[in-house]
Amino acid sequence: MLVKTQYFHYDGEIRLQSGATLGPITLAYETYGRLNNDRSNAILICHAWSGDAHVAGRHSPDDPKPGWWDDAVGPGKAFDTDKYFVVCSNVIGGCGGSTGPSSINPKTGRPYGLSFPIVTIADMVEAQRLLTDHLGIERWLTVAGGSMGGMQALQWTVSYPARVRSAIVLAATARLSPQTIALNEVPRQAIYADPNWNNGDYYGKTPPNAGLAVARMIGHITFLSDTSMREKFGRRLSNGSEGYGWRFDPEFEVERYLNYRGHSFTKRFDANSFLYLSKAMDYFDLSYGLPSLADAFRKVTAKFLVVSYTSDWLYPSWQSKELVRALLQNDIDVTYVEIDSHYGHDAFLLEVDRLAELTRDFLKRVESAH
Amino acid sequence: MTLNGKRPDLDAIIALIPPKARVLDLGCGDGELLARLIHERHVLARGVELSEANVRACIARGLSVRQGNIDEGLADYPDGAFDYVILSQTLAYLDHPASVVNEMLRVGRRAVISFENAGYWRVRWRVLRGQGVGSDLCSGEGRARAITLPQFEALAACVQAKIESARLFADDKPVRAFPTWQARIAIYVLSRAQAMV
Repeated sequence: MLVKTQYFHYDGEIRLQSGATLGPITLAYETYGRLNNDRSNAILICHAWSGDAHVAGRHSPDDPKPGWWDDAVGPGKAFDTDKYFVVCSNVIGGCGGSTGPSSINPKTGRPYGLSFPIVTIADMVEAQRLLTDHLGIERWLTVAGGSMGGMQALQWTVSYPARVRSAIVLAATARLSPQTIALNEVPRQAIYADPNWNNGDYYGKTPPNAGLAVARMIGHITFLSDTSMREKFGRRLSNGSEGYGWRFDPEFEVERYLNYRGHSFTKRFDANSFLYLSKAMDYFDLSYGLPSLADAFRKVTAKFLVVSYTSDWLYPSWQSKELVRALLQNDIDVTYVEIDSHYGHDAFLLEVDRLAELTRDFLKRVESAH
Repeated sequence: MTLNGKRPDLDAIIALIPPKARVLDLGCGDGELLARLIHERHVLARGVELSEANVRACIARGLSVRQGNIDEGLADYPDGAFDYVILSQTLAYLDHPASVVNEMLRVGRRAVISFENAGYWRVRWRVLRGQGVGSDLCSGEGRARAITLPQFEALAACVQAKIESARLFADDKPVRAFPTWQARIAIYVLSRAQAMV
């Protein structure tokens, strides 16, 4: 499946949750499949922290890697592009072609850096709403995502209840826990501590790759589980080494993995975007300013499929259960499944067979309801 | 269960539920009862089920089901959310039956509870012959209580529930005489005797 990234430009400004404004805005997006005549088969997929608009397919026949959720999006897959018109856009604040801290600020002619305003999950959704209007989609059949993508799906149901028939929320939460905020703060501190970060002003100079690599390594630890690490690495030494080297170089397979992942991440991700997106998640709390979480969903009409994974300790099942409870208190139609998996938080990307079965059955029911 | 997989109580439960009722089935298994209630009674159906495989089977039937244990499942619903809350062939497996029945009457106007009567004469005969109560140890089933009709009625009294009706069956036939001995399956409908203070 060949696909091309497209760009939507909005010349106006949007008012952000913080009260600041942002504009003009560019959103990178990709589409798959065909929008039907009554425009009722459109699915929005929202990406997680390090994702982008390229959810599936390849950009050229010799493209070495497909999109980040190619296992789940495509002909005959969980999000079947033979049936559905699938859209994925890069969030604002990101670095995958949408407006973010590495974009040029039209007012100064220089990259925004830290002058980029703080954006929230609600602001990401607001930008996606502009794209939705541009594409002529009145109502999404479903908005789906895992992790930060799940937060956007939830936010859609709250911000635009009439424009979302259903939401598929995987490995996510309605509000970050202190543990997850803590696990976001340490990576941020790693970036701040890199002298190349220079308060976010490093464009055109050496970027803070050491800090960003450490930040990403911490992330990867939180995406795995105790069990998946034991299965994947054990205490194996790297390079077929027979015994200890008695030195500080990374020797264990798990160290080599983290170093490799951390450093390869610096080639494709902007440190400031990493900071902005982590902050957007920390601020995410649908009950903010309300008496209870249930109050957040008073006007919500979407049907929900909520999925958590037993070994996910970044967004543990209790958070999905808290969400389910708040939805049920509003008499919202919610289906909840806790998938038994060893893959930790990564399970939402990896357990695609069970996900395919669930989404197929769930979407069939959503489509059959008037 | 010890019914060779047959669920003779399902027809009787369906007969109790009026059309378009709001129904919650606790421990809904693979969703057979809820699917039949939707088809035959056009109810608004919701389910709670512990096993992931069963929840997926329910979703495949197009049901709205949440995975969780019965205690969690009940706590999540507001007062009076349902017309009927069903607990079919599950009472014997609960750790805290009184609190569950109490909660059923909080979230629903009526509770429908079916169970196998441990006072049934064949069960008593098995016990007399030294064969014990409940499923055999190799069956892989969880630990279950043996519940008799007087025990259940005492439970209803202790949670201040009113017994609206009791349907008692031996095989497919209703039981008239000596129910504590003759009934194999009991289906009780409970409601709140009066508003709890």
